[in-house]
Amino acid sequence: MRLRTTLLAAAVAATAGVTLGAPAPAGAQELRVGFSADALTLDPANHRNRETETIIRNMYDGVLTRTPDMQLAPQLAEGWSQTSPTTYEFTIRDGVTFHDGSALTAQDIKYTFDRLIQDGAMNGQTSPRKSLLGPLDRVEVKGDRTVVFTLSEPWPIFPAMLPFQEVVPDGFTGAGAEGGANVTSNGTGPFKLVEWRKGDAVIMERFEDYYGGSPDNPPVGKACVERAIFQIIPESASRVAALLAGDVQIINELPAHAMGQVENNPDTEVLTVNGTRTFFVALNNAQPPFDDPRVRKAANYALDKQLIIDRILNGTATPLNGVLSPDAFGHNPDLKEYGHDLEKAKALLAEAGHEDGLDVTMDVEGPFKDTAEAIASLLSKAGIRAKVQVAESAILKDKWRSDEAPEDGQMWLTSWGNGSLDPVGIFNPTLTTGGRGNSAHYSNPEVDALLEQAATEMDQEKRAALYRQAQEIVNEDAPWIFLWLPQDIYGVSKRLTNWQPSADSRINLHDACLK
Amino acid sequence: MTLGKFIERLAQLVPVLLGVSLIVFLMMSLTPGDPVEIMLGDQHVTPEQEQALRHDLGLDRPPHERFLVFIGNALQGDFGTSFYHRRPVGEVIAERLPATIELTLVAMILALVTAIPLGVLAAVKKSTIFDKASTVGSLLGVSMPHFWFGILLLMLFAVHLHWLPVAGRIDYEYQVEPITHLLLVDSLLRGNIAAFGNALSHIILPALTLGLAMGAILMRVTRTSMLEVMRADYVRFAEAKGLARHRILFRHALKNALIPTVTVAALETGTLLGGNMIVETIFGWPGLGRLVVESIFQRNYPLVQAAVLFYAVTYVMLNFLADILYTILNPRVKL
Repeated sequence: MRLRTTLLAAAVAATAGVTLGAPAPAGAQELRVGFSADALTLDPANHRNRETETIIRNMYDGVLTRTPDMQLAPQLAEGWSQTSPTTYEFTIRDGVTFHDGSALTAQDIKYTFDRLIQDGAMNGQTSPRKSLLGPLDRVEVKGDRTVVFTLSEPWPIFPAMLPFQEVVPDGFTGAGAEGGANVTSNGTGPFKLVEWRKGDAVIMERFEDYYGGSPDNPPVGKACVERAIFQIIPESASRVAALLAGDVQIINELPAHAMGQVENNPDTEVLTVNGTRTFFVALNNAQPPFDDPRVRKAANYALDKQLIIDRILNGTATPLNGVLSPDAFGHNPDLKEYGHDLEKAKALLAEAGHEDGLDVTMDVEGPFKDTAEAIASLLSKAGIRAKVQVAESAILKDKWRSDEAPEDGQMWLTSWGNGSLDPVGIFNPTLTTGGRGNSAHYSNPEVDALLEQAATEMDQEKRAALYRQAQEIVNEDAPWIFLWLPQDIYGVSKRLTNWQPSADSRINLHDACLK
Repeated sequence: MTLGKFIERLAQLVPVLLGVSLIVFLMMSLTPGDPVEIMLGDQHVTPEQEQALRHDLGLDRPPHERFLVFIGNALQGDFGTSFYHRRPVGEVIAERLPATIELTLVAMILALVTAIPLGVLAAVKKSTIFDKASTVGSLLGVSMPHFWFGILLLMLFAVHLHWLPVAGRIDYEYQVEPITHLLLVDSLLRGNIAAFGNALSHIILPALTLGLAMGAILMRVTRTSMLEVMRADYVRFAEAKGLARHRILFRHALKNALIPTVTVAALETGTLLGGNMIVETIFGWPGLGRLVVESIFQRNYPLVQAAVLFYAVTYVMLNFLADILYTILNPRVKL
């Protein structure tokens, strides 16, 4: 008896849930993004996290932005000029308002950047984004609409780093709200914050007084949809389910193996764009056997990259012969290609004294185990018998990105992201002597000199030439097994129009519409 | 008496928490992985800038000093600032806690209302088809991994049938003014039936995923202990006295048989209150488990330390609660 009542109650409750839980009729145009991670904070100056920036960037505009083909374009600035090797002048757009209704002035820009670069400017702490602005020394207001940025030394990528910084109003500390600036928002972007349900969703609505955005990124005007929501779904299978069920209209980080599922559904499709992350196998250049360039070249010849791209990555990656993305500044398209050539690989190994092949280990993080195993099995055909060792990311970074080359590591399948698409963001850290990301412990004084010279060369032609030359040397030295640049893969609803994935991994919802 | 015992238990917490803090601190410090390195990610940073960040996070101090500072601040209720969220960890944990508590309660209720009746029935109808079927069923429940069962439920109820949503706690059009921060309770208290239904539709699948597995364990425990009690002399005596069957079962046998069930349920509740990373990840549930696991991978020391302390307190308190329940179920048991 008692059991029956209980079951009945459960059934009633379940039915109630189903009927009452049905979504309310869609009056407002609401665009939902199934997104892999929540924002850590809403304060644009207080994080070093790409997902956080992707969310925030819909509520905040920057001084500069990028066009769909990754060219720099003015956003809150009307225009800019470089007045000396170390000074830049920006004219601020007129008629821009913050979400609280106050007008944007040059002083807001100064405050934003002071907060980013001055030590202890954020309640005694220094912004973790300070290093993104390199040698920026001071910011001065000149008249109502002009701001002058002064660097302590020439730094040609300064404009390219500005799209990463969002402008907050003068005196912005978010006082009043619990958690202060970390949980509130007051930007000039196309959407304004309605509510941040932490761990669950960031809910935004269209900012009706939006100035329209960069004229270089038409259409100029208010956002198309009335409400935009980043719903946090960390598991990729569930993101796919949410897209197929129609709960969300865009999902990021669609796994290559799930592309078929999305393509076969009549209401959804797959969109891809070149990413900004270069994958490579770092070879330990400081220890045998990979201290011998012949062995490193042999490893490059032994690998059939295209096979792995086709079979494991579902064709969604561009093979590379160097460190730079084809979209990056100074990319050298004429680098020698290490084609798949087993005989050459074996001959090089024999020449280096490894007639019987050699045994090595390859470190890898869990998510890339399959790829590492495929690489290892292809290498073994040439006699490089690699054992795959899976470990946690934090442990591998500790092991490889240290001052001393690891004594017990030969290979590491890893990657380095380069959102700025400028060589300074990837070439310098990963391949200069002692660089933070120089996991291969590669050291070539010639490359060091070229990169150092290029970092401050103001003539863009000359600068590109220096990088091209450096790429040639690296290509010849083969400190890594050069791999590929994976595409970012998105799943979208066919109701979505006017939205394209962006090569800098941003998800800009300003133009996106729903039909 | 009970109050005295309660204070005694609270006093016992002090060495437990100190011990737990020290162990967690040592483990986090000894595990390879540098929070600053992880935080900076793929950035071109000078050693000076790296050092400045290390200083800001307080990681340039020697470990023993960091530990003493942590204990000193914790005694004043300050558990530090999350490296990543840049806010007090107590606040960050408190935001995620209600979702976890709500899911735990619903899953536990689901588990208990299925496990106890089924367990009793299986014991009473021992060796019948029903008993065997429920044994097989519970074995399935225990062995099905959460990630598999959860995704199966998603594909069926959300993608194919469109009955239930995939992720989240409640849809955005529903606003419930918080009282307890448990959406189901608050929406009822506010008389917002539509919001209640919506919240319920979101919690069903994750609660089912957790609850069925737990119910399966509880059912087996209830069945075994019920069988044992049914053989006890006092039950035979009651039968000989000619008491009605349901009276014997529910008034005499079940009360005693529930003691092991209560123990297991208390332990399982403790585990669930830690948050279940897998279920939270699959259903985009904004609970504690995901936060803590992410924090471990990021070496977000302050958050992990505070969370583990919270787990320790929860466990001790739930065990105490189980002890009190024993005395109610069986008055011969003294605290």
